[in-house]
Amino acid sequence: MHAVIPYVIAALLFALGVYGVLRRRNAILVLMAVELMLNAVNLILVAADASIKSTLSGVQPEAWAYPAPEPKAGAIFALFVIVIAAAEVGVGLAIVLQYYRLRRAVVLDEVPLHEHEEQEAR
Amino acid sequence: MTVADALMLALGVIAVGSGALVVTSAHLVRAGFYLVVSLGAVAGLYLVLGAELVAWVQVLVYVGAVVVLLLFAVMLTRAPIGPSPDLDRPAGPAALIGAGVGLGLSVLLLDAFRWTRYDLPPPGTGRRVGEQIFGAWVLPFEVLSILLLAALVGAIVLSRPDIGARPGPEGADVVAPPSPTGESAEVVARLERIAARQAAAQARVRAQHAAEAAAANQAAAEESGGEPAEPTRDDVLREQARNVVFRAREAGPALGGEDPPAPETGPRRVENTVGEPIPDDEQPALPPAPPKALPPKDTAPPKALPPRTPGKDEGDDA
Repeated sequence: MHAVIPYVIAALLFALGVYGVLRRRNAILVLMAVELMLNAVNLILVAADASIKSTLSGVQPEAWAYPAPEPKAGAIFALFVIVIAAAEVGVGLAIVLQYYRLRRAVVLDEVPLHEHEEQEAR
Repeated sequence: MTVADALMLALGVIAVGSGALVVTSAHLVRAGFYLVVSLGAVAGLYLVLGAELVAWVQVLVYVGAVVVLLLFAVMLTRAPIGPSPDLDRPAGPAALIGAGVGLGLSVLLLDAFRWTRYDLPPPGTGRRVGEQIFGAWVLPFEVLSILLLAALVGAIVLSRPDIGARPGPEGADVVAPPSPTGESAEVVARLERIAARQAAAQARVRAQHAAEAAAANQAAAEESGGEPAEPTRDDVLREQARNVVFRAREAGPALGGEDPPAPETGPRRVENTVGEPIPDDEQPALPPAPPKALPPKDTAPPKALPPRTPGKDEGDDA
C-alpha cells in the first residue's frame, strides 16, 4: 500500500487544527481543535511505525533510521500522547470552567491578561 | 490501489471532512459530535495500519472520555442551543496560516514518500505492545502515570474554591453562581415564551369548557320543558356545596345546644362534582345531626338535578 496516504491525511488534519485554534474564539472549540492536532500527530506516529522501516529498506541502515531498536515504538508513543492529551483536556477544562465561574464567559479575546499589573499600578 | 489503500482513503476523507466541520460549524454541540466522527475515523485508520491497541484506546479515551468531557464543558458554560454568531474571528489570517501549514506539510511528506509502497506489517498484537511498554518503556510509563495523577489533583484544586481557586484580585468581582432564571436575557425570554404559551393553552381550555357548559345548560333547559328559570345543574351543585360548607360552620358553635336546624348539614355527598365523596368531617362536630338530618333530606329533596350530561364533570373540575 502507498505510504503517503496516511501522512497526507495527518498533514491535512493538523492544518485543520491550526486553522481552528486560530479561528475560534470559544475556549472549548479551541480545545477541540487542539485535539485534532494531537490526533494528526498520533496518526503520523502510527503510520511511521508501520511504514518507515519498509520504506527505508533499500537505504543503508543508519542509526537514525532505527530510532528505537524495539518494534512498535510508534504505537507506544501514540498511546503516551493519547494519555497526555487526556490529562491536558482535564486541566484545560478545569481552567475554562473556573474562568467561566469568575467571568461568565469563555471568549478568549476578552481575557484580561494584564489585570493584576494594572491593579497593582493603581 | 489495494483494499487497504481504498479503506484508508475513505476513512481519511471522513476524518478530514468532519474535522473541517469541527472547525467551521457554528453550533457548539454539533462541533463536538463531528469531533466524535473524526476521531472514530482516525481510529479506523489506526486499525488499517495495524495498531489495534492504539485504535481501541483511541475509541475508549478520546471518543469515550475526552469528547464527553468537552460536551460537559459545553453544557456547563451554558452554550446556546442554536447557532452562535460570535463564535469566530475573521477568517482571513487563520485560513492563510492553516492553508500554509497544510500545504507545506503535504508537499514535504509527498516529496519524502513519493509513491513508495510497503507491505502492511503483521497485525500487531496487544501482547507485543504490552511487552514493550512494560519492558523498554517502563520509566516513561511510570512518569506518565504520575503526570496523570498530577493532572487529576490539579483539576480538583483548580475547580474547588475552598482549597485552590482564589477569588479575584479584589475579592469583590467574584460573581455569585448564577441562578438558572436570572441568567441571560435569552433564558428569561425563553421562560417568558413558555409561560405565555401555557397561559394561552389554559385560556383555550377554559374557553372550551365554558362553551361546553353553556351548551349543556342550553340542552338541559330544553329538556326540562323550556323553562328558562330552571336552575342548571351547576347552580344546584354549587348551592348544595355552599349549604354543606356554611351550614356546617354555622352549626359548629352550636355544639351541644339545640338541634341544628339545617336539614342539609348531615354528612352527605355532593354527587358527581368531584371524584371522591366529601369526607365525613362534620360527623364529630355534630353528634345529634345525622338521625335528624336524614328524614327532611329525604322528604324534601333539594331541587331536582337536571340530567347529567357526559363530559361535564371535567369541565367542573377546571
